[in-house]
Amino acid sequence: MEFSVESWAPEYGSSLNLPSVEDTDDRADATVERALEEWTPIDPVGTSRPDEIAFIDGIQRIDARIWIHENGISTPAVCVSVAAGATVCTPGTATTHGVQVARALIAPASSTAGPIGTRHATYDFVPAQDATPEATYLAIHGRRTELEVGVARSVSCGLVVFDGPLRGPTDQRGVGYIKTHHKVYLPPPVQAILGDLGDGQRTPLFFLSGGPGGGRWSWYLRLPGPRVHPMSGIVRLELPGTGTAAEAVQRAEYVSACLPRFASEPHKESRAPQNLYPISGIERELRRRLGDAHLLERSLRIAAGHGT
Amino acid sequence: MVNQTVGRVLGTDDSTPLEFWVAVASGQHLQLDDIIALDRVLPTGDKVSIYGIVGQVRARHEGARFDSDVFLIADGVLPADVSEAAQIQVTRVVPETFVPPLPGAEVRKAEGSERDEALDMVEVEHRLPAGLTRDGQPVMLDLEFIDGTKGAHVNISGISGVATKTSYATFLLYSMFNSGVLGAAATNTKGLVFNVKGEDLLFLDHANTRIDEAERARYAALGLEAGPFRSMRVLAPPRKGDPNGTPATGARTTGVRPLYWTVAQFCEQGLLPFLFADAEDERQQYTIVVQSVTAQLQRCAQQSYTADGAVRIDGRTARTFTDLVRIICDKLLPEDPDEDADPQWTGRSIYTGTINAFVRRLSSSERHVAHLIRADIDDAETHAIDLDSQQVTVVDLHMLHDRAKRFVVGVVLRQAFEAKEAAGTAEPLQFVVLDELNKYAPRDSSSPIKEILLDVAERGRSLGMILIGAQQTASEVERRVVSNSAVRVVGRLDAAEAGREQYGFLPAVQRQRATILKPGSMFVSQPRLPVPVLLEFPFPAWATRVAEADLGGERTDQPADPFDGLT
Repeated sequence: MEFSVESWAPEYGSSLNLPSVEDTDDRADATVERALEEWTPIDPVGTSRPDEIAFIDGIQRIDARIWIHENGISTPAVCVSVAAGATVCTPGTATTHGVQVARALIAPASSTAGPIGTRHATYDFVPAQDATPEATYLAIHGRRTELEVGVARSVSCGLVVFDGPLRGPTDQRGVGYIKTHHKVYLPPPVQAILGDLGDGQRTPLFFLSGGPGGGRWSWYLRLPGPRVHPMSGIVRLELPGTGTAAEAVQRAEYVSACLPRFASEPHKESRAPQNLYPISGIERELRRRLGDAHLLERSLRIAAGHGT
Repeated sequence: MVNQTVGRVLGTDDSTPLEFWVAVASGQHLQLDDIIALDRVLPTGDKVSIYGIVGQVRARHEGARFDSDVFLIADGVLPADVSEAAQIQVTRVVPETFVPPLPGAEVRKAEGSERDEALDMVEVEHRLPAGLTRDGQPVMLDLEFIDGTKGAHVNISGISGVATKTSYATFLLYSMFNSGVLGAAATNTKGLVFNVKGEDLLFLDHANTRIDEAERARYAALGLEAGPFRSMRVLAPPRKGDPNGTPATGARTTGVRPLYWTVAQFCEQGLLPFLFADAEDERQQYTIVVQSVTAQLQRCAQQSYTADGAVRIDGRTARTFTDLVRIICDKLLPEDPDEDADPQWTGRSIYTGTINAFVRRLSSSERHVAHLIRADIDDAETHAIDLDSQQVTVVDLHMLHDRAKRFVVGVVLRQAFEAKEAAGTAEPLQFVVLDELNKYAPRDSSSPIKEILLDVAERGRSLGMILIGAQQTASEVERRVVSNSAVRVVGRLDAAEAGREQYGFLPAVQRQRATILKPGSMFVSQPRLPVPVLLEFPFPAWATRVAEADLGGERTDQPADPFDGLT
């Protein structure tokens, strides 16, 4: 396979934060735990120090943009590094667990792309639907999700918190942890409750139908931290949409009681308090494990035959 | 023996041929002073072995950015790893190809023969046991750097009380005499020890009752048998005001000989200048007077031999130092103010003020040294100072005034040095142990005593006179005396002192550590190794005060004759 590395730095490309997988046409049923008129903030009952809890996160980084040359036609593609891992917290210890790193060459399935071997890493071919940024993003995201699911399988905790919405095959232990809000799922009459939540309080459950996996239980929780606007410190949580509402409520109580102690502080974390310490820790570790971007870019240029 | 891998050279700090860092593998540890080894294979296929000593160790949280992260980590909220690393100071590279060790290279603890290799002891033929590392391994010195073959002299620095300088000096002497390193020459090798403080060194020939089995084992590890010095004599100045010249030594009563010079010896040997050894003396005019008077005294002594050691000067007899001072004063300052002083005694063109300065100093010394210079004891000549009758001669100075101390040290050293000069051979060696070098060879002045010490430091190596000198602060001692010492030893130092250039041979971390060294621990720098080694020496097997002495029924708290010395 003949290819060249774009001489522009990889950051100069289209933004990859285009579609949010969260923004599907979910519909919320907010009466599964309480009638709308009875919605009030709830103080979760449960232990704040669970025996064992795993936080799973993944990251990706574009190492280089390349052009694949075939029959005089050049097709754009990207070389990415993705990584996923877990922080497993028990009272008194927080350890990094099961870090996986993968390198992928994302190119349209129609191209003749194959794996690229370099001095430091091999980029395996991962086909994308086409060459558009959206398709490229989905392909990267897909690879990252695969790794995250793999990591989740390797941990034995009873509670596994995924950074982001639940996705892929449903893990009964899994909890989706969403910290950015593109949309408020609550029906207008009860939306104001978010502003009324105190530190550590949660909303009643609601059920989201649609989206992947046939529905999820969800609720909002406020993490402790300074309140500069009504949505400060608000996160949304998801549970797999199986079982009865009563079971889901019990689980939600447990999860809501566990999480606040992991909330971060603004001087240590730019996305405080929502970016939890264990997640921030694993992200840093993953970024380190991705290796040096410049080194990888150089090795790609050497592999392309036009660099030293 | 397969040495255990303890870690790998790390790549986040520069690795150089003289210094590098090692990341310690989990489940392993390295501590200060551990000795390590590693190999590097060059592109040519040649193997280079690099040896070093751990100079610093550190541990930190990897993944923590804020100091307070430690609480989150301890609470199990933030993930972090503990990393441990050790800084290595290279002691040797074999063969001498100075390449840096490569990051990732396996590092092992050097043990057994590899340890000898690391400390460059493989080719050393004559090994002088110098102490033990903290893990009980013996550390040796190359005798050739002490006996004058390649270098000579030992210099010990450290603050008083906790640095145990004299204990280490006597330990080295003991090791020298008893380890067999000197071979047959050990029997005739002599030690001259000046006891400047307390009664520390007066019981070297008594076993220490406080020594236990553990300490004996430490001696055994060094190939030594714990015991006192076998052959020793103490020379002590007479009691002041005692007409019999009984030596005053406090608790020790046996094996003590008095230390004094007859007036004739004083004059004939030209000992007068040793009375003028204060820091400011050399800059004074009256040194001319000192020289003239010394010459006149020599002349008189040679012309008038008396059996009892007195000297006749132009018809007057000087039997005591007081007599002598009076005669000299009369010569220099005639009673009749119109009469001129004898220019043979004063020197030419000397002002009265200068003569007065001389007389003032001479008179003021009288009260401190009068009991050391005398011809009023019978058989005075038989009390000549003999440094050769026993293996170790301890000259006890602790009761003397500073001026008298300087006089005795200067005169005894000169006698020993002249004896070595006359003998003409380096063998057998004469060791001299002298503490408070800063008093006798101060940095900023000159005196007859300093000249003698400089002679010993610079020529002693070829003459076989080896100085084991000690001082609180090397910065206050004449540079040439310290720099001529091949082996430098540092006990605990004052923090300000540790920063001075005189301790440039200590790497920064060791300078810091020198301020907290415990008694019995020393950094020893020897020419074979670029890095000083920390060692401990065993508790003295000889008594260092009367309470420790195994006296074997001998009573020391009272003199044998309670009325001795009373008239």
